[in-house]
Amino acid sequence: MSSLAFLIAAIFVFLSPELKDVSRETFAAENPTNSEVSEGLTCQCGCGLTVANCNMPTCGFSVPMRREIDRMIGEGKTRAQIIAFYRHEYGEKVLSAPTTEGFNILAWTMPFIALALGGGLMVFAVGRWHSHQPSTPSDSNPGAASTTFDPELRRKLEKELEDRR
Amino acid sequence: MPQLGNLALAIALILAVYSIVANIYGARRNLPDFVVSARHAVWAMCAMVTIAVVVLWTALLRSDFSLEYVAAYSSTTLPTVYKITSLWGGQQGSLLFWTWLLSIFTSIAAFQNRRRNPDIAPYALAVLAGVAIFFLLMLNFVTRPFELLATIPAEGSDLNPLLQNYWMAIHPPSLYTGYVSATVPFAFGAAALITGKLDDGWIRSTRRWAIFSWFFLTLGNMFGARWAYEVLGWGGYWAWDPVENAAFMPWLVMTAYLHSVMIQERKDMLKVWNLALIGLAFGLTLFGTFITRSGVISSVHSFTQSGLGPYFLSFLIVVTLAYTALLIFRSKDLRSPAEFESYLSREAAFLFNNLMLVGIAFAVFWGTIFPVLSEAVRGVKITVGPPFFNRVNGPLALGLVFLMGIGPLIAWRRTTTSNLVRSFAAPVAIGVATGIVAAAAGLRQWYVLTAFSLAAFVLGTVIVEFRRGMNARRHMVSEPRAKALVNLVAKNNRRYGGYIIHIGAIVAFVGIVGSSFFRTEVKKSVHVGESFTIGSYALRFQGLDETDTPHVESATARVQVLRADGREITVMTPAKLFYKRPQQPATKVAIRSRPFSDLYVVLAGIDDSGQTATFEVFLTPLVFWLWAGGVMMVLGTVVVMWPNVRERAAIATALSRSSTDARELAGAAPGGD
Repeated sequence: MSSLAFLIAAIFVFLSPELKDVSRETFAAENPTNSEVSEGLTCQCGCGLTVANCNMPTCGFSVPMRREIDRMIGEGKTRAQIIAFYRHEYGEKVLSAPTTEGFNILAWTMPFIALALGGGLMVFAVGRWHSHQPSTPSDSNPGAASTTFDPELRRKLEKELEDRR
Repeated sequence: MPQLGNLALAIALILAVYSIVANIYGARRNLPDFVVSARHAVWAMCAMVTIAVVVLWTALLRSDFSLEYVAAYSSTTLPTVYKITSLWGGQQGSLLFWTWLLSIFTSIAAFQNRRRNPDIAPYALAVLAGVAIFFLLMLNFVTRPFELLATIPAEGSDLNPLLQNYWMAIHPPSLYTGYVSATVPFAFGAAALITGKLDDGWIRSTRRWAIFSWFFLTLGNMFGARWAYEVLGWGGYWAWDPVENAAFMPWLVMTAYLHSVMIQERKDMLKVWNLALIGLAFGLTLFGTFITRSGVISSVHSFTQSGLGPYFLSFLIVVTLAYTALLIFRSKDLRSPAEFESYLSREAAFLFNNLMLVGIAFAVFWGTIFPVLSEAVRGVKITVGPPFFNRVNGPLALGLVFLMGIGPLIAWRRTTTSNLVRSFAAPVAIGVATGIVAAAAGLRQWYVLTAFSLAAFVLGTVIVEFRRGMNARRHMVSEPRAKALVNLVAKNNRRYGGYIIHIGAIVAFVGIVGSSFFRTEVKKSVHVGESFTIGSYALRFQGLDETDTPHVESATARVQVLRADGREITVMTPAKLFYKRPQQPATKVAIRSRPFSDLYVVLAGIDDSGQTATFEVFLTPLVFWLWAGGVMMVLGTVVVMWPNVRERAAIATALSRSSTDARELAGAAPGGD
């Protein structure tokens, strides 16, 4: 079960929504917009936001960088080329997400490993509870009370209800 | 006056220490007078902290710059409302405000439990006083709000312009209220562990506190998102900033807790898990405070960075270790006769829901601390920003939404296949139909199609549940539809209020998906009289108006918004502001909000002549529904918390039964007649 959950998780992580990012690299790579590029870069003014999101009017980093990105797009550079240029210039810290190399792989996989482990633990615990539980007739009424009635009590209850009718 | 503040804080610290000692001594030795005295000490502590708050507020309102805090976070030209909000605008003031809330909540808990929970209440109040002692130690010895300046400046430095916004007036108090009130259920959980009274009494006693905390965490997160939307001027509302994450994590864990306690109340299961969750929620509130104040991780929200990080980290470690030790110590007593019959049951849906919520909380935590880990392990500083969080949490959010649909319609214990088909046929049909319509309308992103289909499915399940309840009432008491609906909610407010919260969450989810995937933007420099277009709108720059006050200079652009046919819709007025005291520029965005999309205009730049302006304009579909969903969640929570006569009677019965049991156990059972 854990490995199944992990497999599903792994598929999810590579097919998931901000696939905008992945799709941008593959499909929009030829003609990116400024936002598509600058969302992949982190402003270094200390705000912690992406270059696309930092809107400090006088930011000494994001304002000139957005201008420079416009220029590079105008020169026909792809998103990957522009981001590689800035990575070379400022190092890994300028990227807005971890790479998928070396130690950084842990960043991407750990949440799903934890989820798979948690799921596995849950299934194990539920399995144990399940095996300790004697089978009772199914209750098809949603919201029905969960109390397991003693057959003797149930008989008494039914009799009393019958008497009151 | 400042001396009065210092004195009040010193006395509050002494009273908090006394309260712990007297509570524990009184409870252990069975000396009620000590417990009563400890309770009075809590109230006196609250009075002392209130005096300190009043002193600081008075100093802020009177612009008493002899106080370092007032000189740093206020000015004579600061509007009065922001002088009041400056209380939480800076490091010392926000800690004082936190301590004040904690002392108020502790006092309320002491009052509520003056005749209830005699076994665990003294210990719970001791834990609350223990937390208060940490904050009072900070205020008395580490970061003093009443520090005096050697030279009194003629003018203060003013409040950060980003905080001079009405959302900032209500966002921090809401979030702090959510954070601090989580301490009460945590304290009762810890007291249950200390005393070994491990039934669900502590949960029942603090259920409203947990919902209250969740309510304010929801409000705080929503207000913060709205503040970012209106003030930061980048067209978005959530940047996965570490401080935003710090507020989001306790919300996720509290949400999980509020679901899993239902299993304990109903089936006496998950005792360890519930205690762990409430401990985690409290720990995450401390972690959030640690992040905001330590400067360990850079954040746009870190307005109050200081050297407090190590103190908070130490406190967090001590609390975590002590609580974990208690959990391990009581692990044998926490085992319960578990009943679990089928994966096709409501308890299973709740368990998976908990897994998803805690999984998302872990993913957020992991992404938040990974830069620190990377620096420690590799010596390389990296950034973990929105692309990471969106990509990791996106699929988990879909799983969570799916489970929101499953939970309400599935029975406790187990459900049959035929019942499953009968219950889910209509919601599944609604979900599939929505997906088909969305695809036919031209949507192609699989995530969006799945998200909208699942959202429709969940709404379908809630509608089915309301319809089923309403029909049952109509058959039982022959009421008309509208009356049956009102009575259904009124008499089962906890359950149906919960469904209203689910509707709100789904509506907000649709807003988030729509605004994330379909936002368009245009950046344009135009002369006065020139126009440009975005979507079906044409925007014409009509000119600039400049104003100058002692506090702020502003240049406001008049932007006429026209339909495609040339008819005027409105005139929007984005502005650039320049705050004089901190000499800092800021942006005031103009937003025209409609259910289908928001038009969001930012004045990004002005040339020296004032004849040319640069605008950044965003057209964001469906973002309106994020805020609408937030409002629905708030309304749902109000319904859940509304006093319910039947529930109070049930609690009173349970309490009287438990006190009878206690008397019987003590060998003092009254003789029967």
